[in-house]
Amino acid sequence: MKILVCLKQVPHKDARLDIAGHGTWIDDANLKFEINDYDNYALEAALRIKDAGEAEVIVATIGPDRVVQSLRTALGMGADRAVHVKDEALEGSDSLGVAKSLAAIAAQESPDLILTGLMSDDANYGLTGPMLAELSGLPHATGIVSCEHAGESITVERELEGGALEVVELPLPALVTVQTGMNEVRYASLKGIMQAKKKPLETKSVADLGLQASDVAPKVTIEKIYMPPKGEGAEILQGSAAEVSQQLVTKIKELGLL
Amino acid sequence: MRFAFSEEQRLFQEALAGMLAEQCPPEAVAEAWNGDSGRIPGLWAKLAEMGVVGLSVPEAHGGLGLDQLDWVLLLQEAGRAALPEPLLETSAVAAPLLSELGGELANEWLPRIAAGEAVVALGLDPAPWVADAHEADLFLLQAGDEIHALSPQEVRATAQPSVDGARRLFRVEWEPSERTRAAAGEGGRELLALTLDRAALGAAAQLVGLARAMLDRSVDYAKKREQFGQAIGAFQAVKHQLSDALLQIEFARPLVAHAAYTLVHDWYTRSRDVSTAKARASDAALQCAKTALQCHGAIGYSFEYPLHLWMKRSWSLAAAHGDAAWHRSRLAKLLLD
Repeated sequence: MKILVCLKQVPHKDARLDIAGHGTWIDDANLKFEINDYDNYALEAALRIKDAGEAEVIVATIGPDRVVQSLRTALGMGADRAVHVKDEALEGSDSLGVAKSLAAIAAQESPDLILTGLMSDDANYGLTGPMLAELSGLPHATGIVSCEHAGESITVERELEGGALEVVELPLPALVTVQTGMNEVRYASLKGIMQAKKKPLETKSVADLGLQASDVAPKVTIEKIYMPPKGEGAEILQGSAAEVSQQLVTKIKELGLL
Repeated sequence: MRFAFSEEQRLFQEALAGMLAEQCPPEAVAEAWNGDSGRIPGLWAKLAEMGVVGLSVPEAHGGLGLDQLDWVLLLQEAGRAALPEPLLETSAVAAPLLSELGGELANEWLPRIAAGEAVVALGLDPAPWVADAHEADLFLLQAGDEIHALSPQEVRATAQPSVDGARRLFRVEWEPSERTRAAAGEGGRELLALTLDRAALGAAAQLVGLARAMLDRSVDYAKKREQFGQAIGAFQAVKHQLSDALLQIEFARPLVAHAAYTLVHDWYTRSRDVSTAKARASDAALQCAKTALQCHGAIGYSFEYPLHLWMKRSWSLAAAHGDAAWHRSRLAKLLLD
């Protein structure tokens, strides 16, 4: 079985984020980066399938040279090989451009299963997975919280609103996007990190994927990002709990909300 | 010579830092202080599984067979997290010592250390007390030029007051005998000198991490805490102190890395480099502790706020395996003799 795990490198969860001078993204000059949390769970799910039987796990990501560190971490956790897509044409690319590039990798690798995170911690669109499935002509399920592989299919549980779960069986090849908390993500062992050096890590351009720059050019552009303006007119009610409650009721009535 | 840590060593550091951020937050350290063992339940096993505990254990015994240079960044991270586990004595010092002692001792204990199943307590001059004796499965103790290996049943350990709730100290009484002797004579002297250097260097690396953690926390606090209508970090009296603390760390950090290099490559300057590193790292951590307390003000004194975890570990490790004064004195002797 061949499993492709699509990873994204995002700013570290504890990083202080400042808006860049151009105002359309954050200033990432001095940021620490890490594997997107959702993708970590996807990788762990793939590695568990590998641990349970015969499987090859390939990790793929798109980005500048710094993303190699995340690929090395994934290899250290147990992935078998890595594909790094690096191309100026992908700078500022949108979800569709990323999905097209990943679909080209999937076409070259012909995986039985594609796993990726439900969304990325930085952009939060949740689009790449479903777009990749559509472009690859694969059945897919989003936001899965469990995954069982048996023969030519996988059975997954999807998280729905209100805590309900939906059980879906998908014939392979298929794609699933993974919700956080699905499993306990392993740490890369030091031995794994040492072995990762010897594992194949291939760097590809957009042309190597059989695409042209225009194929991955963004259709969506970010006009502006900004911090929400602070609200004004907040009033702190004073007094005992009983007094404050009474004042609150009066205020709500004054506003015509009761 | 390219004097920089390798990509692999940086990845080791990143992996351990990520793991400790999740498994060893200040709340868990504070809880460990109040526990019977002073440790975080299950964390030692996770560190062993990751390969950190057996880093210095030879591959033949289930470890990674790496050296003191590979320890530097990892021990810095252990310091940064105020890790309440016996990583320094058991893994960074006792494991290579057992490896050098060889024979039955090595065969019996190194696989157990690598598997996270054994803790080793060290009693080396000039330290008057033995850390973690209550958890130890094996004691390696110095008597003059000799090293002795004893079981917990062969020693009497009496708890001593310790400022650090996780690094617990004991007076250990024992009787050296032919049966317990593991090394003696010239070989014993050389091993003891090397082991002391490893212990002092490991403590120095942890002190650098502790110092950095306290500085980072203080800078963060100084940016947020407002007084007289502005962040206290805007006042020169605060920011100059923080800058001085950073300078102390930046002086100590390369000295620790250099000492690790000379130790691994057995340069004749090894002991004086280690003493320089330990003295400066102790100074840096103590200075950072003082600055952190000043910048935090009253909250820094409170037991509920975690700053004291790093401060007290710094005080403890600054005194461990020779304090700054002891190492400066040794440095003077090594330079002048």
